[in-house]
Amino acid sequence: MQRIPIKFAAAGMILEKEAMTPEGQVLCGAGTELTAELILRLEKQGVAVLTVQGHPVTLPGEKSLPERLKELDSRFSRVKGDPVLRAIKKLIARMWILQERGEEALQALEKQGKL
Amino acid sequence: MPAIILPMTREDILKRMEDVQSLPTLPPIVSKLNEMVNDQEVTASRLGKIIEKDQVLTAKLLKMVNSSFFGFPQRISTIPNALVLLGFNVIKTLIVTSSIFEVMQASDVKLFEHSLGCAAAAGIIARRRGIKNPEEVSTAGLIHDLGKIVMRAEFPEEYDRILAAARERRISVREVEEEIVGMGHGEIGGLLASRWNLPESLVLPVRFHHTPERAGDHKKIAAIVHFSDILVRAVGYGSGGDPWVPPLDHGAWERIKFGKREAEEILMELEEKLAELQNFTVDIS
Ligand SMILES: [Fe+2]
Ligand SMILES: [Fe+2]
Repeated sequence: MQRIPIKFAAAGMILEKEAMTPEGQVLCGAGTELTAELILRLEKQGVAVLTVQGHPVTLPGEKSLPERLKELDSRFSRVKGDPVLRAIKKLIARMWILQERGEEALQALEKQGKL
Repeated sequence: MPAIILPMTREDILKRMEDVQSLPTLPPIVSKLNEMVNDQEVTASRLGKIIEKDQVLTAKLLKMVNSSFFGFPQRISTIPNALVLLGFNVIKTLIVTSSIFEVMQASDVKLFEHSLGCAAAAGIIARRRGIKNPEEVSTAGLIHDLGKIVMRAEFPEEYDRILAAARERRISVREVEEEIVGMGHGEIGGLLASRWNLPESLVLPVRFHHTPERAGDHKKIAAIVHFSDILVRAVGYGSGGDPWVPPLDHGAWERIKFGKREAEEILMELEEKLAELQNFTVDIS
């Protein structure tokens, strides 16, 4: 799943969450496949951000998943001995992998003992 | 390693804090509101009317209270409503600190993001722990690093040197502060907050956000702010001046702890809020 500003939306992307106006009015539901016309219409209605399936775009300034995981590791490097913080770190890593690569990739990594 | 000599002691800081220049002093409206609040007869609608005379302030306040770091479930459209729904302490703190956050947004956007993120996390946890006024806990999160803002504004050279020393030695800003100044940003922020007559439920969590078990009657709020600070740093949102996740106080953890399932939910909720915050600014343009 990825949140993208609407100007990065493209036909063929599938909504992971419903598209909403800033006022909270739902315009179309999760699972909808975007078309050029639909994107235009959503934009006109004031929709600024969409949540789509997978990770279809690299946003400007966005770091790759391996980079983010590496930085996560380094941020926690001074509290390695704390079991609570270790658990939190693992949950964050799992959440990111799940969002970007999906359930199967996460399970594969877990089987390999990489998490 | 070069020796770092800072012409700054605890006494220096305390003395200079007496006469803090670059930080905004209390807007006159605050002392007026304070007087009125002590009067039992005063209603939210009368207080609100006074604030609403200042249109710029009103617009700023409404933008803040409706932003996602508070996460209030319904839209708040008037100041009297905000006073009833969020309480006077929250509104007063926002009035007092609004110009500080405007300055900070321009001068240190990473610290600004860190503060907003901490506010968001604190609100999420406070709601889940059934705290009576979760927006007040968010507010404590918002201002928890006030001391860093004061240092940056009042002692810019010294603060830069503290940051540089932390970077060079790969330790936290807080460790350098304690070592060189003998006074942490928590204490400095707490001092300022109490000089503004903010309530103890805000002053103590600010003062003790790194040592939350010392926060007297407000240990639980301090614990939430303490953990929220850790959480925003953990996910890498904004920056508190150094890249490290700070140590967890286990006394505090015992007060608010949660299991894996709830931790996952909290992290997801936080991600959502932080994404919404991307475009948040305090000015009203
Ligand atoms: Fe801090
Ligand atoms: Fe902080």
